[in-house]
Amino acid sequence: MTGLPVAAPVTSPKRAGGRRVRPSRIGFLLVTIGLPMVIYIGLVIWPFIQAIYYSLTDWGGFTSTMNFIGLDNYTYIFGDDIFRKTIRNNIILAIVVPFLTVVLSFLLATMVTVGGSSTGAVRGLKGSNIYRVVSFFPYTIPAIVIGVIWAQIYDPSKGMLNGVLTHLPFGWGNNFESFAWLGEVKSAMPASVFVIIWGFVGFYMVLFVAAIKSIPAELYDAARIDGAGRLRSMWSVTLPMVRETVQTAYVYLGVVALDAFVYMAALNPTGGPSNSTYTISQDLYKTAFTEGHFGRASAMGVVLAVLTLAFAGIVFGVNRLIAGREQ
Amino acid sequence: MTQIDSKVNRRTVMRTALAAGLALPVGGALASCAGGGSSGTGSGGGSTAATGKTSSDNPFGFSAKSTVDAVIFNGGYGTDYVSFAGKVLEKKWSGSKVKVSPSTQIAQQLQPRFVSGNPPDLVDDSGANAIGINTIASKLEDLSSVLDANNLEGTKISDSLYPGVRERGLVGDKMLVLNYVMTIYGLWYSASLFEQNGWTAPKTWDDLLDLGAKAKTKKKYLFVWGKEAATYYQTLCMDSAIKEGGDEMRLALENLKPKCWSMPAIQGVFAKLEKIIKSGYMKPGGAGTQFTQAQAQWSNDESGILYPSGSWIENEMKSQTKKGFKMTGIPEPTLTSSSKMPYEALNAAPGEQFIVPSQAKNVAGGKELLRAMLSKEAATNFAKTKLAPTIVKGTVPSSGFGSTALQSQIKMLDGAGDNVFNIRFVDLYGTNPDMLVPWNSFLSGQLDAKGLTSALQQITDKVANDSSVKKVEIK
Repeated sequence: MTGLPVAAPVTSPKRAGGRRVRPSRIGFLLVTIGLPMVIYIGLVIWPFIQAIYYSLTDWGGFTSTMNFIGLDNYTYIFGDDIFRKTIRNNIILAIVVPFLTVVLSFLLATMVTVGGSSTGAVRGLKGSNIYRVVSFFPYTIPAIVIGVIWAQIYDPSKGMLNGVLTHLPFGWGNNFESFAWLGEVKSAMPASVFVIIWGFVGFYMVLFVAAIKSIPAELYDAARIDGAGRLRSMWSVTLPMVRETVQTAYVYLGVVALDAFVYMAALNPTGGPSNSTYTISQDLYKTAFTEGHFGRASAMGVVLAVLTLAFAGIVFGVNRLIAGREQ
Repeated sequence: MTQIDSKVNRRTVMRTALAAGLALPVGGALASCAGGGSSGTGSGGGSTAATGKTSSDNPFGFSAKSTVDAVIFNGGYGTDYVSFAGKVLEKKWSGSKVKVSPSTQIAQQLQPRFVSGNPPDLVDDSGANAIGINTIASKLEDLSSVLDANNLEGTKISDSLYPGVRERGLVGDKMLVLNYVMTIYGLWYSASLFEQNGWTAPKTWDDLLDLGAKAKTKKKYLFVWGKEAATYYQTLCMDSAIKEGGDEMRLALENLKPKCWSMPAIQGVFAKLEKIIKSGYMKPGGAGTQFTQAQAQWSNDESGILYPSGSWIENEMKSQTKKGFKMTGIPEPTLTSSSKMPYEALNAAPGEQFIVPSQAKNVAGGKELLRAMLSKEAATNFAKTKLAPTIVKGTVPSSGFGSTALQSQIKMLDGAGDNVFNIRFVDLYGTNPDMLVPWNSFLSGQLDAKGLTSALQQITDKVANDSSVKKVEIK
């Protein structure tokens, strides 16, 4: 398939007109764009189309035959209160997780790069290299391990968290005797969100550090001469300069939050109290493999993909609006 | 300069981000569903099975020079017991070979093989990722022929088994599943702990309430539970209600009848359990505790004194059981003294479901391997190494190979006689994950018996009203 540049001399008489499309160029294009495209279409687009097709059938997953049933699967899943709840949970995750992670990691990045003393050269806090390394640690741990570790920390009877909190003074500690962080409706979701953020903050801090380092120091000096304090230069200098990085971080985190399968499966494999931490991907997995409704599960997957695309679209849209206003 | 840079950056970033946005959820969430990519290949293979002549010594026409391909769930019991039976088979038929492949992801790994018409000859369809039997029923062999055959010692197999094996394996009018391990549901406690404190084992729900009060004075709880296993209490309640209300109660639940959860027998049991919860006899925090942790609170810390579970509990908690913990099982409590079934009645269901796919290359081989597993030699080996009885009677000596739990299991089985029943609808329709939710809320006191009843009814009704789910009528 891949045309090799060897063929070039044969067609060379025609090149007098200064044409640009030479066989060597075609070969180059085939290798650099064609091959990835074929892989992309075969492994990404094609399964996607397949999933859309399956979502319109009653495929049980273990046969080679299936019947076309139109939009029945979609009618069913949108009529299902548990699936609606998973959508709600995923939307909450997609709003809260990227926002908190980006804000926290941006603040941390600012502190270790330009948040130091406001006299002399622009620099970070003392010992910022240590903070940088330490806060990156969680990212090097696989997600499933993070989930398992935190499930132990949250354990009501033997967990580290309650072990510490039960020693609080003034009788506050008694509230945490056997308190089930992952077993109470009001705390299960926040506790899970905390774990996801804990796992990602360090990585995004490093990402922002890199972005902030590329801002010319003169800008800060100029801002300082104009009388800007630390907060003002963070808001008016750093943030606009790293806006693109923030957008990238936002989209990636949103994708993680809309999936969240690994974290949630490790922390609350059963979906949490009253399904308060149940996600679309968990429901999809259960529908396919325990209930044997692969068609229905494909429909859930399509909904998840549409939600993810919509999320990315919104982030780009908002970013463009802000950029437009600035100019 | 920076402006141009940032423009180029923005485009690349946008493209990558969009691609990622598309690729991640689709690739991650749907890749597993794309297994059907080979769906075009249809149902080839199948009939290449090598079959020999049938005789009373070779009931399925097994061809002695063939290979048997078995995929076995690698869970609490491991897979070595099937390998052992494989050796028995290879010894009987020289030249034959048995290949045992362990798997913990039965549904995920076998799904493509079923779709392309190349399933294994024997499957142990168990564990959290088991294939719902209902979804592959049309592709499985009727295993009645195995029960009708003679075992390797020459007696008819169905005469050598505990009752209920055929019934448990029926899907419609065909016996598609052979459950190999006898699983007994009951209440489990430490006989030594009870002796020390002068407690007696409870027989009714009122006994349980008394015991709860006594345990409280010793700063112990009556029960513990873990979030993934909250429905063990559902099994306890259903079993107790079936003893109270008899077949009427059982069939209403099994056949997903409207208002089955509101029947007096089960409501009586719920009321008692609600009282236990309201009295603070459940160790709090279970809804946020992993079930193995919770079970260790019973078998190791002894902060809870009773646990409703199946007979796998001894094997499961082996490494986390306190020294001198004389693990003992007793039948589940009855509600009143006028219950329709005696206190000794048991939910004793054969578990570990083995299936033989009809499209397998060596169907006779799959059945022959089952026959080898049901031989006295292989069944005794299982009981001895796994400390659990198989469906084959008389393989466990009264010493129970030194295990108090195994001794008590045999005692329970003998005491129950023919009063053995089981419950299948939860596994058949895969409703356990949904049921865990209200049970966790109920056990932690956030939901009362009324709320529990309506939540469970809603789950049952949903299956009953879903026309795409094929129902299995249970008699």
